[in-house]
Amino acid sequence: MKVFVIGLDCAEPSLVFDRWRDDLPNLRRLMEGGTYGELTSSIPAITVPAWASMLSSRDPGQLGFYGFRNRADFSYERMTIATANKVKADRVWDVLSRAGKRVIVHGVPQTYPVKPVNGLMISSFLTPSTYSTFTYPASLKDEIAQVVGGEYLFDVPNFRTEDKAQLLDQIYRLADQHHTLIKHLMTGRRWDFFMHVDMGVDRIHHGFWKYFDERHPLYEPGNPFEDAIHDYYVHIDAQIGERLALLDDDTAVLVVSDHGGQPMMGGICFNEWLKQEGYLTLEYQPEGIVPLEKCEVDWSRTVAWGSGGYYARLFLNVKGREPEGVIAPSDYESVRDELAAKIAAIADPEGNNIGSVAYKPEEIYREVNNIAPDLIVYFGGLRWRSVGSLGLNRIHTFENDIGPDDANHAQQGLYIYYHPRRPGAGRGPRRHLMDVAPTVLDLLDVPIPPGMQGRVIQ
Amino acid sequence: MEQKGVTVWFTGMSGAGKTALALRLEEELRRRGLKVERLDGDIVRQSLTRDLGFSKEDRDKNIERVTFVAKLLTRNGVAVLCSFISPYREVRARARKEIGNFVEVYCYAPLETLIERDVKGLYKKALAGEIENFTGISDPYEEPENPEVMIDSSKETVEESLAKVLRKLEELGYVPPSPAEEEVYTADEEAEIEARLAALGYL
Repeated sequence: MKVFVIGLDCAEPSLVFDRWRDDLPNLRRLMEGGTYGELTSSIPAITVPAWASMLSSRDPGQLGFYGFRNRADFSYERMTIATANKVKADRVWDVLSRAGKRVIVHGVPQTYPVKPVNGLMISSFLTPSTYSTFTYPASLKDEIAQVVGGEYLFDVPNFRTEDKAQLLDQIYRLADQHHTLIKHLMTGRRWDFFMHVDMGVDRIHHGFWKYFDERHPLYEPGNPFEDAIHDYYVHIDAQIGERLALLDDDTAVLVVSDHGGQPMMGGICFNEWLKQEGYLTLEYQPEGIVPLEKCEVDWSRTVAWGSGGYYARLFLNVKGREPEGVIAPSDYESVRDELAAKIAAIADPEGNNIGSVAYKPEEIYREVNNIAPDLIVYFGGLRWRSVGSLGLNRIHTFENDIGPDDANHAQQGLYIYYHPRRPGAGRGPRRHLMDVAPTVLDLLDVPIPPGMQGRVIQ
Repeated sequence: MEQKGVTVWFTGMSGAGKTALALRLEEELRRRGLKVERLDGDIVRQSLTRDLGFSKEDRDKNIERVTFVAKLLTRNGVAVLCSFISPYREVRARARKEIGNFVEVYCYAPLETLIERDVKGLYKKALAGEIENFTGISDPYEEPENPEVMIDSSKETVEESLAKVLRKLEELGYVPPSPAEEEVYTADEEAEIEARLAALGYL
């Protein structure tokens, strides 16, 4: 038995299962012959930590990272990037390598710097450049350059652009280049486990969602990019078809996404809100729109600060913990509860509650390692993003502080599980992304190590 | 930065993984250029305390002598890794008080797992009544109430446990961060990656 995993970052279940099902013949074939359903993401539902959580079957608290950047210590400014070195738990290919299985891992987030595996590894979009050692073994780099006939792409360059035609072109370039390489590796090597992650789906969602979704506040019917996302899904489906044709009939296929996507309704200026509510004090008002790191914060009069992104992180300024902490440790819980309650009451400009939730790390994770945010916040079920910059002087914004962005993440990603010899169950129950690693190990007859949280998808 | 001495005290029942973890920690601390000394129950009992048995009194004496040695090393800037069953809370508390820079690592695994593993064949003998005062079978093990680190060797790999201990030692300032981790990106690369992440909307 072999296992072929197709990772589609941000692939949205409602688009694949329902809206465009009939236009995606290859994914439909896998659905009809297999079992498929929603795949609950980690909290936060974001590339880092979601893929690592999926492939180690451990939650972000156990892994000890809560996003791309995490606090390095309790100072106000030191952050570190969650590279592969921060992943201390085994991921499925580590377990498989030790069991003597041959693995090929391509483009999975948090694989730079690359680590030795029993097979091949090509790192992902957190790689500085093609000058870096981004393959294991290192010699694979030259072969890749030959196969793709030019510079290897880790991601879509210049993502934040208003030139949408060019952006679309880049997204296709990335997908096509990776597809060429995948086919080359699939056929040229012996492997038991093959996994690739396509970032294009995520990039096209963020860049083009408003053009097709009637629910999006900026949707305009008949616009030239109305079919951009649809056509990209069709393109990816055709590529998947070509790959499936290369598989023998002893290969199980898993199509997975780390989270879903949905229209972005707007942004909540989190630090602006904290400032207005009296939790954050600046030495002086910045001119223009300025990220918090560039503002002069009066820490002696600041209770909490937040960060931007698809979800928000809230940090408390605690006496004895932060350099100029103001919250007495005995008041920590009451301040946290007060803020969580106020966050839950945040309304849209019309005064309707948007339904925000603030999670306490210790309540959602089995362990809390390294420095977690004091609260992890979803504004309006992730339909609103968190804007960290100050200077907008209002709570709501419909223009991002960093340029156009149409989509946000959704908690439910997708899975399609096809086994060549077992009948599928069609639309199946919701599963958790931590179920993926034990399922792969089970298929390959490798014992599931203790500590994996997920359960095997049968 | 001058090395700050510390005693890392691994406590837990026989077979729970104290020695394995201490050995990996020793290796890692040496790799980071620190002075390390390891005091292990099985070794110490062949030299420093070979005159002692396993009665409560002898066990207390065993730990008392080890504590004395660990204290001397710790105050001279050494990272001392002590792995002893050290089943009694009071004795461990005394060691902590004596030594000062003290990090307690509770190595746990469920009794069934320990009996199943039985690396040294001791549980079999103890269950058959061939060993007296055997911790966990015929003598109590008093679990630490507030260890700095707790590991469960039935659920985590040695590498995961090691990462937890290292994190704690780094946090407490006894161990500088791993040079390997710091060197993933150059300053320019890091700035470039951060700019990319911001452009992608992640930050």
